[in-house]
Amino acid sequence: MLRGFKKSKTKSNAAVPSLFLEEHKNDRVTGNLEDTITFIKGILGVNDDFSMRKFHVFGKYPAAMFYFSNMINQTLLNEDILKPLMYPPSHLEGRSIEQDQLKDVLLNETLYHSEGKSEQKLATLVEGILRGGTVIAVEGIEEAFFVGMRSIEKRSIDQPATEQVIRGPREGFIEPIGTNIGLIRYRLQSTDLRIQTMEIGRRTKSTVAVFYMEGITNPDLVKELNKRLSKIDIDAVLDSGYLEQYIEDNHLSPFPQVQYTERPDKVVANLLEGRIAILVDGSPLALVIPTVFSQFYQTVEDYTERYLLMSSIRMARLIALMFSLVFPSLYVSIISFNPELIPTEFAVAVAGGRAGVPFPAVIEVLIIEISMEVLREATIRLPQQVGGALSIVGVLVVGQAAVAAGFASPITVVIIALTTIGSFATPAYNAALALRLLRFPLIIMAGVFGLYGVMIGLIVIANHLLSLKSFGVPYLSPLVPGDFQGMKDLLVRGPLWWMRKRPAFLQPVDETKLGGHTYEDLKNTEENVLDPSKYQK
Amino acid sequence: METRQITVIQAAAILISTIIGVGVLPLPLFAVRAADSGAPLVTFLGMMVAFVGLVFITVLGMRFPNKSIVQYSEDILGKWFAWLGSAFIIVFFAVLTSLAAREFGEVVVTSVLKTTPVEVTVIVMLLLAAISTRNDTTTFAYIHHFYFPLLLFPALLIVALSLNNGDVINLQPIWGNEPNGTMKGILTIAALFQGSFIMTLVIPSMRRPERAMRASIFGMLIAGGLYVILVVAAVSVFGAEEIKQLLWPTLELAKATSLPANILERLDAAFLAVWVTAVFTTLLSSYFLTIQAINHLFRLRDHKIFSLFILPFVFITAMLPQNIVQLYGIIETVGRIGLSLTIGYPGLLLLISIFRKKRGNPVGEKNLDKNS
Repeated sequence: MLRGFKKSKTKSNAAVPSLFLEEHKNDRVTGNLEDTITFIKGILGVNDDFSMRKFHVFGKYPAAMFYFSNMINQTLLNEDILKPLMYPPSHLEGRSIEQDQLKDVLLNETLYHSEGKSEQKLATLVEGILRGGTVIAVEGIEEAFFVGMRSIEKRSIDQPATEQVIRGPREGFIEPIGTNIGLIRYRLQSTDLRIQTMEIGRRTKSTVAVFYMEGITNPDLVKELNKRLSKIDIDAVLDSGYLEQYIEDNHLSPFPQVQYTERPDKVVANLLEGRIAILVDGSPLALVIPTVFSQFYQTVEDYTERYLLMSSIRMARLIALMFSLVFPSLYVSIISFNPELIPTEFAVAVAGGRAGVPFPAVIEVLIIEISMEVLREATIRLPQQVGGALSIVGVLVVGQAAVAAGFASPITVVIIALTTIGSFATPAYNAALALRLLRFPLIIMAGVFGLYGVMIGLIVIANHLLSLKSFGVPYLSPLVPGDFQGMKDLLVRGPLWWMRKRPAFLQPVDETKLGGHTYEDLKNTEENVLDPSKYQK
Repeated sequence: METRQITVIQAAAILISTIIGVGVLPLPLFAVRAADSGAPLVTFLGMMVAFVGLVFITVLGMRFPNKSIVQYSEDILGKWFAWLGSAFIIVFFAVLTSLAAREFGEVVVTSVLKTTPVEVTVIVMLLLAAISTRNDTTTFAYIHHFYFPLLLFPALLIVALSLNNGDVINLQPIWGNEPNGTMKGILTIAALFQGSFIMTLVIPSMRRPERAMRASIFGMLIAGGLYVILVVAAVSVFGAEEIKQLLWPTLELAKATSLPANILERLDAAFLAVWVTAVFTTLLSSYFLTIQAINHLFRLRDHKIFSLFILPFVFITAMLPQNIVQLYGIIETVGRIGLSLTIGYPGLLLLISIFRKKRGNPVGEKNLDKNS
């Protein structure tokens, strides 16, 4: 019986192409065209989108070309590869090419494509075909030619949907990693930009690119990230979010310890601060590490618009962030435990509104909160054509009706609406989500212990934040541990010329960001060029 | 080897937020009982007494920059005497933790959550502290650093707002009328500063232990200054005789004030809510001290096991006093006895260490690096 089991196992091994490939990892091209064809067709031939084209190089030598027809650019293949191989190009006319010269002539003088090379290992060739390349094997040559000619349909570059700005670049990442790398290189034309790529995902073989600045980023950080990435052994990496969940420090924390962005300019700004960016093929979202809490309420626009205006807007965002966390729980605790805190007239009005509501405040708030979450989730799923209309109906009509029915008090609806809107003012969706989630335990604490309970809850959250680290960087830097340089960009956004140093908590190799005297020099040269008193006709 | 990351500012913040705790609430009462209108002076003297103890601790810490009191007392006194002293310290701070938790539990139950059993508020505070002690010393410093502005601000706000109602005549004569209980009062108030003992744990983790004295002076100045200001405000608003009728004059002070423009009609509940952080940091420190002392005494690697292990004992101790009156009797007595541990014992150690010319190893050069 044991033998039978073993037998069936080996049999199934042979049937799975990837395992077969693994077994024949070191097989080489023999020079016998038929062998190569059998090998490649044996692995890929079952698929209908796989194509093999046989032809004769220069009318003499039998050859075959393999590719997946939907992953390549057919016109280019015909013009640049097939044609010169079949018709000897003009400079080869009249020359008689021997079998032993053939490989060099083909590679160096015939193939009209920049991304062409010769390869011996069959397994590598098969992987190349899978990635969208074309393989050409010629009878009598112990290597095959590999031409990278991938052409996958992709969407155009447009405005990042989740991180729109009024002032600032309008480009966002798209799915293919090549385009994204180009977008970053175009914004950071520096010799110091380093890109390391690796493959993660046993089946998807997704390309993962790690970006950092040599001479700025702390080398230990790069080492640590590579260590974590190299340990990931999973089937599929379908989005950068898969990687985030493996490389983050604390898996239980509701707070994200890795930032994601779809803006190339944001990636570049972060690289220049000494962070590392990670891109995954097929994902329009880059990951940025290490992450601190203050990044979640900063936007690109903070830096493109003038500092005075953006500082105040940043404060508004911070208030919204706090609102979305504590507002409902404060309401519950004041209404149920300490109504004497608020002015008497208001307290009377609130009590009047709540007169017909049968539940205690905490139940009422929880019900409305949960229905708000349901509405929010539904609006994402709704088809766009009805989405707008239905959300208005949902929020306005249901809210109004709930109040009229004596199900909720008007002030509760106001509070929850403000909270929900506040949570959308936070630029980072994942951080807003964390705060929204934490709101619920806070409401329950408020219902049980009043303000005392809210404080206990907040202390637990704050202690968690204080003990949290992203790649060793304390999560609340630069507030705790205090860093005076960093404080200039914490609550307010200081003028650009104040921020001479890169954030110290990232421990960059080169700390200085701004030339010493830029501001002073600009001030000194000030002159009233077009002074009206100088105007003479 | 734990990393040395704590800066002078963080060390001062630890001191301040440890000292400022639930003791602030009955503080004016203690001071007034001792010397009527001389209360601010008594508070100041109490602070000076406590400062002497802190100086002992700091000087000892600077002599042995790599060790806590549990460890260097063995070098100074020999193993068995030191063991006894450390055991006393552990028991004392466990009791101090439990008393602080009980005291605040009583405050909450009396003034805000009137129908909640006191056991619940006590266990909630203790659990909060116990869970937070599971972090390392660096995070412990971060926690204090984060909360200390939150603790200074409401206290100063209350003082500033209450100055409206204050009257200087209440503060005269500044020597007090019947200065007979003054000595006892000074000791009682000095006992409120006992949290400063945490310095012995902080110094071995400081980046530059030679600057510890600076942190001690700043910490004591700010915390002591706040104590004095609060007593001044309370006495000037209520007068000495009135305060004797109040259990928690600081809380009454919050009750008597209201924010301008009538945003919040009364501040006491809000003040108490914010004061949870102050009590939490104090509890955290004494709990942390207890656990780390046990840890050093038994030479364990990991202090996390003990954080929940001693929780039942602390809780039961907290529940032993029958009522508030008995509780405050115990707090005053324990506090005064404890002074012999927090001032007398370090003084003795310092004396012997000078006498026997004992010194710890200076901090190695390596440890001065940024991240080692």
